[in-house]
Amino acid sequence: MKKLLLCALCAALPLLAACGALDVIGNDSVTAFDEMLNVLPAAADGDTWVLTAPDGAAAFVWSGDFGKTDAYDVWLELDAAPFTAAGLDPARLPAGMAQGRRLVAGVSLGAQTPAPETSASPVLSYGQIVTRARTRIGYHAAMDHFGVDLDGGFMFEWARDMTANDKDIVFVLDPEVFRRAGVDVGTVEGWTLATVETMDEAGRPVEVEKLLKPFDIG
Amino acid sequence: MDNQILSIGGMTCAACAGRIERVVGKLPGVRRAAVNLASEKLFVEYDAADLPLSAIKEAVVKIGYEVLEKPQSGTVVIPVGGMTCAACAGRIEKALRRLDGVLEASVNLTAEKAFVTYDPKRLRVSALRAAIEKLGYRALEADRADAAEEDRLRKQREIRALWTRFVIAAVFSVPLLYIAMAPMITWVRLPFPAMLAPMRFPLVYALTELILVVPVMAVGHRFYTVGFRALWQRSPNMDSLIAVGTSAAFLYSIYNTWRITRGDYHAVDALYFETAGVIITLILLGKSLEAVSKGRTSEAIKKLMGLAPKTAVVFRDGAETEIPIDEVEIGDVLLVRPGAKIPVDGTVLEGHTAVDESMLTGESMPVDKQAGDAVYAATLNTNGAVRVTATRVGGDTALARIIKLVEDAQGSKAPIAQLADVVSGYFVPIVCAIALVSGAAWYIGTGDVSFSLTVFISVLVIACPCALGLATPTAIMVGTGKGAENGILIKGGEALETAHKVDTIVFDKTGTVTEGKPTVTDVLPAGTLSKEELWRLTASAEQGSEHPLGQAIVYGARAEGLPLSPAENFTALTGRGVEAAVDGAAVLVGNAALMEERGVALPRAGVNRLAEEGKTPMYVARDGQFAGIVAVADVVKPSSRAAIESLHRMGIEVAMITGDNHKTAAAIARQVGIDRVLSEVLPQDKSSEIQKLQREGKRVAMVGDGINDAPALVQADIGIAIGSGTDVAMESADIVLMRSDLMDVPTAIRLSRRTIRNIKQNLFWAFGYNTVGIPVAAGVLYLLGGPLLSPIFAAAAMSLSSVSVLTNALRLKRFRADREEARAV
Repeated sequence: MKKLLLCALCAALPLLAACGALDVIGNDSVTAFDEMLNVLPAAADGDTWVLTAPDGAAAFVWSGDFGKTDAYDVWLELDAAPFTAAGLDPARLPAGMAQGRRLVAGVSLGAQTPAPETSASPVLSYGQIVTRARTRIGYHAAMDHFGVDLDGGFMFEWARDMTANDKDIVFVLDPEVFRRAGVDVGTVEGWTLATVETMDEAGRPVEVEKLLKPFDIG
Repeated sequence: MDNQILSIGGMTCAACAGRIERVVGKLPGVRRAAVNLASEKLFVEYDAADLPLSAIKEAVVKIGYEVLEKPQSGTVVIPVGGMTCAACAGRIEKALRRLDGVLEASVNLTAEKAFVTYDPKRLRVSALRAAIEKLGYRALEADRADAAEEDRLRKQREIRALWTRFVIAAVFSVPLLYIAMAPMITWVRLPFPAMLAPMRFPLVYALTELILVVPVMAVGHRFYTVGFRALWQRSPNMDSLIAVGTSAAFLYSIYNTWRITRGDYHAVDALYFETAGVIITLILLGKSLEAVSKGRTSEAIKKLMGLAPKTAVVFRDGAETEIPIDEVEIGDVLLVRPGAKIPVDGTVLEGHTAVDESMLTGESMPVDKQAGDAVYAATLNTNGAVRVTATRVGGDTALARIIKLVEDAQGSKAPIAQLADVVSGYFVPIVCAIALVSGAAWYIGTGDVSFSLTVFISVLVIACPCALGLATPTAIMVGTGKGAENGILIKGGEALETAHKVDTIVFDKTGTVTEGKPTVTDVLPAGTLSKEELWRLTASAEQGSEHPLGQAIVYGARAEGLPLSPAENFTALTGRGVEAAVDGAAVLVGNAALMEERGVALPRAGVNRLAEEGKTPMYVARDGQFAGIVAVADVVKPSSRAAIESLHRMGIEVAMITGDNHKTAAAIARQVGIDRVLSEVLPQDKSSEIQKLQREGKRVAMVGDGINDAPALVQADIGIAIGSGTDVAMESADIVLMRSDLMDVPTAIRLSRRTIRNIKQNLFWAFGYNTVGIPVAAGVLYLLGGPLLSPIFAAAAMSLSSVSVLTNALRLKRFRADREEARAV
């Protein structure tokens, strides 16, 4: 028995040593993100990178330098018009979400300034999110998507394999936030209200309502 | 032919037992090989001239099991007084180690005990004690670990080892199960570490499960080493099922872990590490509980072994010396003080005491013993000190023979066990086939490897036949052990099984239904004589008589405390009676013919009644005048009527067989309620009478004293010897009743019926469990829209099946003898 335990320990040690390599989703999400940017390039905007949806009504923004971005380091920017048309009362949105004609939802990931070469690359900048906030990166098995969790039910997802997926990028909103702000969530132009199967933070399967804006870009 | 009992280690199920039986049974020179899974013993009858015992042991070891040898060394703990510091302990250790024959010695100062391992062939405990005392310390009476104790300690170690393995497995399996199951429990939000979320960190999740399952499989490594070896030798057993099932789960999970590394995150849903881990853990739990229960099944024999005293006080060279019991020899004169146990079988040489023989006979009343009476090892001397001459020592004592008899009985198989043996021989290969076929069928039907693997593993795990293997031997062990506790020695499984079918019981009359010795039953004085005066007068005249009836009158009068007068001019009148002069009167005692011859007028009243009651009237005349009647009869035992009533309630016809004339026999039969009387049967014709009953289609048990009834005891389906555990009866009968109490007959039948019912229940549950469990595990219910059995639940159910069979067998321990009931009747 001792021999077996020793063997098990010997087998486990290299695995533990190679802990970084164990994060297959984190690593693969970077690769897929890179492939996505090859099709739909991100634009630099100061210290941030902006991935704008093909219809221009939404954008996924991430910081190249967490030390320089203020409120959020990763966020979604949405055109407020369709929501306003569907009954949005901006005053009833969470504080800071309504910013003129834009709606903004995101998270702050700290204030650490990365190496200059990291800030200079949108993919390496995304890699900072994986490094700093790995638990925000998930895999949506039902859609074969990677995603960044932006709290409050807001997400940005992209396909692991764009060639095999008809929804290469998806902007994901929590309809409840808008419902509380007077929006008739079923009638927001350019957004689809759907019940989707996903997993909670413990990996438990859950079915939730979402407002989705998917695009097939590849 | 030689007989040997070998302790076997490493058996897990009936298939193991069957395999050992087959392999040993095939050895040239082996006549019979039987394995008792519950007691883990191999009973082998072989020709030692053709086959050395070592060859049998080698054959057992070769197929992967252990032959547990009794240690050659002895262990003794000697309490030591007078030590004050560590130096004292060191000094004693050094002195003990210097002795030739001491293998290891250590002294615990705090416990004030010396623990010595030594070679009993080269050294006696007395030498160890002497060495300690020579140093100036006090060596108190030693506690020696005897065979029973060693067996108990070995079992305890085994239970502790199994329990430790289970605890280690549980420590890793509980978090493993939690990690595996918590993400699946949707109705309650169990806390779960984010770093292990399967859809965020699938590889970490898989490797964590892997790291947790490896120690579990390591502690359960025996299942793999034994299981795969048995499979390799084309003789799969329970271990093979577990090994194949859990290995399949483990290897498939390893494959899926590899798939995760290749980017197939969905493979995280197809991990079965927890299945392998939890199955091993549950089976270890089941085995631990099984080991505890198994230990309890052999408590009776342990109790018997524990009865024997360890030392004896002998007179040697005119002095009293305390020596180990093994050193007592036949002819030694022993001193047994009040409160001490009789060390060996012997005869009282001097002294008078009462001995509690309940440990051998179950009889709670102490038995008076005086010079010439036999006493038995392990019985308790309750009052006076006696000197006893040793007549049987070592393995020849009644206790040793009883232990041997019970051990043999517990190792024997009832015919009903053959069914279980046959089934379990084919069971495992068939289960393997069912598992493969059902797994393949589901794969073809669904294309889902995970699903078909679940079915495959569930079938393998749930079908383990350990409950089947335990069903019969555990019940027999508890049943025969319970019998021994009550002074009922059942010689084997076959006797136990046959006894429950008995529908007719034939009792020998003399000494069985009756006391076997004549007793004064009626004293009927005539005229002005008092009852006591008539008895005194008659007994005084009979003092010189050698006739049993005359002696019964004298014995009875003495017992009543009547003062007897000397008899003068005593004359025995053959076939008629006696005459003598008592207190100056001419006294005549005898039958009617004698009275008629001497012209004594006899009354008619009362005489017929006495004859009808089976009593022998002895007429008494004083100075030629009728003085009264003293009736003598062989009286029925106090328990006879109650016993026969009890048998009637059980639906058993009761017959009595005797050489007496029909009138006397019928009178006795009426008294006790016997249905059928077989009278005027000569001893040599008793067996043919039994045959006649058997030809009527009856299952007959014969109850006798086992000596003159021996042919009938052998002829009967069940021979029950009553009243002695020390004579030839033990050899000739199937069941030996240690006491002369007839109530033990219905008790024995009831015990047999309860045991067989228990075996049937066990077999029903074991078979039923597999009959139901296998189709469920194979997905038949799922096919019909019902649930699919998870391998984890299959493992839990499998473990519970063995425990439930053992628990059911242990219910027999609650069996109570009929004695209290008899007193109430």
